Amino acid sequence: MIGFVYQLREAGIPVSVQYILEFYRALQQGLAPDLDRLFLLSRLVFVKRVEHYDAFEQVFASFFLGKGPASPMPHWEDLVAGKPFQEWLQRQVEQGLLTPDDLRQFDTEELLSRFWETLLAQEGEHHGGNRWIGTGGRSPFGHGGRAGGGIRVHGRGLHGTAQKVIGERRFVNYSEQSTLATENLRQVLASMKSLRPAGPETELDVDETIARTAKNGGEIELIFRRELRNKLKLIVLLDNGGYSMTPHIPLVKTVFNKIRDSFQDVRYYYFHNCIYGRVYKDPPRREPLKWETLASHGPKTRLVIIGDANMAPIELMASYGSIDMANMERRPARDWLLELKQAFPVSVWLNPLVQKQWKYESPTIDQIGRIFHMEDLTLAGIKQAVEYLNLQGKTHDRQ
Amino acid sequence: MKFEGTERYYLNPELKGIVNIAMAMEKPLLLTGEAGTGKTQLAFEIARALDLRMEEARCKSTFKGEELCYVYDTVLRLNDSRFGSGETGRNVNDIWDYLRFGPIGRAFLAEDRRVLLLDEIDKTDSDTQDNLLDVLEDGAFIIREINHKVAANRRPVIVITSNAKRELSDPFLRRCFCHYIPFPSYEEMVKIVKLHYPDIHEGFLEASLTSFYRLREQDFEKPPATAELLDWIGAMRADGLQAPGAGKETTHIGTLLKRTQDLLKFKGVRKAMRF
Repeated sequence: MIGFVYQLREAGIPVSVQYILEFYRALQQGLAPDLDRLFLLSRLVFVKRVEHYDAFEQVFASFFLGKGPASPMPHWEDLVAGKPFQEWLQRQVEQGLLTPDDLRQFDTEELLSRFWETLLAQEGEHHGGNRWIGTGGRSPFGHGGRAGGGIRVHGRGLHGTAQKVIGERRFVNYSEQSTLATENLRQVLASMKSLRPAGPETELDVDETIARTAKNGGEIELIFRRELRNKLKLIVLLDNGGYSMTPHIPLVKTVFNKIRDSFQDVRYYYFHNCIYGRVYKDPPRREPLKWETLASHGPKTRLVIIGDANMAPIELMASYGSIDMANMERRPARDWLLELKQAFPVSVWLNPLVQKQWKYESPTIDQIGRIFHMEDLTLAGIKQAVEYLNLQGKTHDRQ
Repeated sequence: MKFEGTERYYLNPELKGIVNIAMAMEKPLLLTGEAGTGKTQLAFEIARALDLRMEEARCKSTFKGEELCYVYDTVLRLNDSRFGSGETGRNVNDIWDYLRFGPIGRAFLAEDRRVLLLDEIDKTDSDTQDNLLDVLEDGAFIIREINHKVAANRRPVIVITSNAKRELSDPFLRRCFCHYIPFPSYEEMVKIVKLHYPDIHEGFLEASLTSFYRLREQDFEKPPATAELLDWIGAMRADGLQAPGAGKETTHIGTLLKRTQDLLKFKGVRKAMRF
């Protein structure tokens, strides 16, 4: 039975120890006298989301009915379109092991064989090598596959890829060094609050009522207040440009994704490296958003900036500092940031660089850190950021 | 205690097994699925079949969770303390006279086992869901004002429904048995309709169901569901019609399609002509 549970886990169904205990308890009670009911019972106990039904059925069929291995060798086209391969490719490109030229020249076979090589080499260290592919093969990959002759990673900016892959959350965390488990992240983000009085005055303020009643000499005076409700408004500014952010894309992607899942009223805007008078509504940064519009969201709105704050000092301090040649903004970025901070007093800057690297990476991190409260994009960092926002927000929400 | 379905409700064997497992394990059963698949109805039928009393909580977005357990009526107590409780028999010094129990509270306090329905839980805040978690898990809640713990005499059969408007939190899902009710297949639908209209004519039923499933396959904003189908057949029978009509001639289309856009689309009005 334990084997069954592990197969479920491998199929990407989150199984906790609690479920296993529950499952055994149910078996002891004789709730699964036949195969049909065993199927129902195990599905009830182990599968909580309809998205996992399919994977579950396959594992069940393979384990109890022996219907072939649940993870057959994947077809090479699936493999190429699949996430493990794509991620591998992306890493190779990022680390400079494969140049765009290579990509153009190598055919798929060549790439695949390199992929296998890396995997086999890794197997000793992370004994996850084979599983990757097993998982990869069985589950349907989100996208359609290759585009034309070249492999799709090539030819599109990595940022584009990042945007595309967002929303595809079917897979276990592949990257071992990932600092964040998505589940924890969701819980941390869920603690972000903006309690404001809202709705009709229906809640009785007992203390105030008693005080007033006493003053009235015992004649009851009822004092009602408006309830406090969580009305969180959030703006996320995302640095999605520039070479310096490239290595952090997967991390940012995870966080971004979770923020999107957790809140209803969130707006996203994009900027490149630093903010000069405008941000953009779309990831390729073609549709600018007016500064006034951005600033008009008001002091109760929470602002989260995600960026590495890593730039040449001149970009931050000098007039006409933007590295974007077309940007004729005279005021230095630092002024804009100060103004932004003023418009959004409840704001925090999340930096994908780990905190202890900050002072080595760039002096601008320190500079920006003086304007915005800065935390790194680890679970602890985000926790602190959320706490900071809640604390700062409290004073503004009451007004 | 075993649930076998009732004469009014078609119970698919899978669902029957699930209900019985959930009852044996004393776990809340979370039902998701399209509107009109009988999620809420199931709870009522369990109560009817097992002859249990129902406690029903229709969730609203303003719920905080606590009012489902109990409400402490401060205003009434203040009023009584000022003007006296008169002949109501309430004792101002006794807080118990001013506590009113909600569906969860009643289900816990009852001597008999009850069916507790939390309908459309997804309408509530995630905070509310988290508050309810512990209550449902422990079968107990605390009355904060007097720090008194109310524990369930008999664990109720808990049925929770969700239309999945919002995603439920993982801890919540973890504590429930979750089941997704798929839309009934043609054969199941035949049985369902026959439960409601036992004397229905075969040919008529077949023709209606064919049109019905054809309509469902088209991309309507709100595809017709079981409830609409039953209404439709009921309307046609009331009119004494012999056939549902086909294509655009379908009678009583208003009972099947509710949204204006869907109706316009059905009638073949072009996009440009719509207002």
